[in-house]
Amino acid sequence: MKSSALFLSLIKRLTTSVFVLFLTVSFLFVLVRIAPGDPSQKFLSPNLSPQLVERVKSSFQLDKQIHEQYISFLKNALTGDFGVSYSFHRPVNEVIAEVLPFTILFSLSAFILQLIGGLLFAVLAFRYHQKFWDKFLSRGSLFLYAVPSFVSGLFFVYLFSVQLQIFPSSGIKTVGTLENNYFFLLLDYAHHLFLPVLVLSLTGLPVYFKYFRENFEENQNKLFTLYLRANGISERKILFSHLIPNSLNSIIAYAGVDLGILFSGALITEVIFSLPGMGRLAVGAILQRDYPLIIGCTLTAGVLIILTSLLADLIRLKIDKRLIKGLLN
Amino acid sequence: MKRIRFSVFHFFFFLLLITIGLRLPLLGETAILLISYIALLITDFRTALDQFSLSMADYFCSFLLIIAIPLFLFLKRNNLFLPKNFSFSHYTLSVLLYTFLFAPVITNDNYEFQKDISVTRLLPPFSSIHVLHLKSNTEKSGRLNDFLSLKNNVVKNSFDEKIIFFDSLQITQSGVFYFQNERGNGLPLSSIEMVDGKPYISIKFFLLGSDEFGRDIFTRIIYGTRISLLIGFCAVILSLIIGVVLGFLAGFSGGVTDILLSRLTDMFLSFPIIFFIILILAFFGNSFISVIVVLGFSGWMSLFRIVKGEILSLKTKDYFITARQLGLSGTKLLLKEALPIIAIPVIVNTVFQFGNVVLSESALSFLGLGIGNEFPSWGGMINSGQEYLSQAWWMILFPGAAIILTLVTVNDFGRKLAQYFNPRLHE
Repeated sequence: MKSSALFLSLIKRLTTSVFVLFLTVSFLFVLVRIAPGDPSQKFLSPNLSPQLVERVKSSFQLDKQIHEQYISFLKNALTGDFGVSYSFHRPVNEVIAEVLPFTILFSLSAFILQLIGGLLFAVLAFRYHQKFWDKFLSRGSLFLYAVPSFVSGLFFVYLFSVQLQIFPSSGIKTVGTLENNYFFLLLDYAHHLFLPVLVLSLTGLPVYFKYFRENFEENQNKLFTLYLRANGISERKILFSHLIPNSLNSIIAYAGVDLGILFSGALITEVIFSLPGMGRLAVGAILQRDYPLIIGCTLTAGVLIILTSLLADLIRLKIDKRLIKGLLN
Repeated sequence: MKRIRFSVFHFFFFLLLITIGLRLPLLGETAILLISYIALLITDFRTALDQFSLSMADYFCSFLLIIAIPLFLFLKRNNLFLPKNFSFSHYTLSVLLYTFLFAPVITNDNYEFQKDISVTRLLPPFSSIHVLHLKSNTEKSGRLNDFLSLKNNVVKNSFDEKIIFFDSLQITQSGVFYFQNERGNGLPLSSIEMVDGKPYISIKFFLLGSDEFGRDIFTRIIYGTRISLLIGFCAVILSLIIGVVLGFLAGFSGGVTDILLSRLTDMFLSFPIIFFIILILAFFGNSFISVIVVLGFSGWMSLFRIVKGEILSLKTKDYFITARQLGLSGTKLLLKEALPIIAIPVIVNTVFQFGNVVLSESALSFLGLGIGNEFPSWGGMINSGQEYLSQAWWMILFPGAAIILTLVTVNDFGRKLAQYFNPRLHE
């Protein structure tokens, strides 16, 4: 009974996701079609004869009816064939596959940092409840929440790269590093990525801190905590085996979407530190009107977001079986 | 006697008094300008229309408000909705509103003003530069010319050929010799304004330094406040309308409409919205209006969800069902039963949404996709400061501080508002 309910809820979840993805892609198609100018313009010069213009247009299948274009577009998108990027002159899949590993490494490390940081600070604030540290951390997180990443990023660059010259301000590796020495290569990556990861995680850290802290507070006033306390269970044990597990549920739901959005590119951090990530790739494609690449990036981002939130839901189901009912409705 | 408590009202009054004290000559000139403009409007309507400019109207508005607001506050002081005890965010909120309203009176500089870049570029904060004044050679009299000179005195242009910034000065028998960044230039004494037989030298003070074109950063931040808040207001109102209308539709009609709209919301929520914003701005051009529209259209989702949720729960409530059974018309149901219920969460959410829009706008300007270079914006200032990071930290620090201050204030205000409406909400 339970497994079938689980299966059903997953199926429902997936169909919704696919429908949302379909909507996104269709929306994108409409946007691209109503944008002024068409994709073939880049390849046409005014000197071309009208016949040649027609031939170029038909090679883009722009001479067909709009619904035929839409169907072939959907077909290609479904099979994962996004065509050739105009600016890179290579298949879109290849271009995306090149930046994806870096993006995932980068955003995953920032994600882990902000999750752990948020949890640690929340535990600290909880230990010193309503005392100096708690108030300091709460105020500090409110302040940090209001700091945009381009301000904190440039501040760190000024402090660490310009004044102290400890960390490099851009790129992911030093030119001329020995490629075959993996240890140094790894060290070099870490050296370059320290500031970007810090900046990226600083924007999310206050959110996790606030979630954890509010959850602790809420659960602390509940009867089961009172009961545990009355039975003489130590505060430490209450926190680690009861308060934290009880607060995980809502945080994982948020983290799923958050991780997906991080995967699709941390645009501003990438711009400041000139990193080769998904965000810069997508915006570069937009600015250069590289339609195949735009659609490829969007779909990749959408799929990643759907996958991560699905993963988050699975983890939540694993933790809390009561959620199956909620997902079914 | 009742003890007088210090409140926001007094703080605002205090700010006003300071401005009036510092800018008394300017305010007087603005008053004269206003009177002479009205006179011109009566005598020569066409010329008056030709002379009209938005910046002049801006000065007039500020002048009128500076008189009207204290009067209004004073007359209504007993039944004002103003918090009696106040905190940091109340201060900053009043400073922000104050800056928004009285920008021209606070700075009295044109935000595009640039002259003698070799002297004025990349000046650190608190630096002052000597100014040499040239004689105005055309001393025509006449009503229109009087008006024009008065107008130029009040409404500053982006360029003024009557003044020269210099580093050092040598006075000789025949004329003056001034140096601009190692480069010397001579001028006859007859062309310079003199006071007591000496050239008249004033000092221009750059409170927060200057940028790469020698423009005053303080002035640009003050006007940037205006732009950011204005974009925030407009975009939030747009998303408020969209979110509430769609939420009502989905909540009341249910069925297919509800499913479609909810999936549309999911689509907007499950995608990094900044890419859509950039896509639309890149394809359809970025301007003041398009930024507002795009930001407005990208922020309605949370409002939609709130309104829909409230309406759905309202539909099951007994009093609402009773009102419906009694035969209340649709509009009356909306206005009398539904709106009061949704107003509170919607207002709170709108305040937070305002903060989001201000942040997005500055992020877009930072990426070079904002409202363009026509108006100063905080994000744009930071973007141009990025290049001079090692030389001019003030180009980033002050606009950045302005953004942070605004966001802290708005978020804090939102939380206070939520607490005010829902006292059970803990800290």
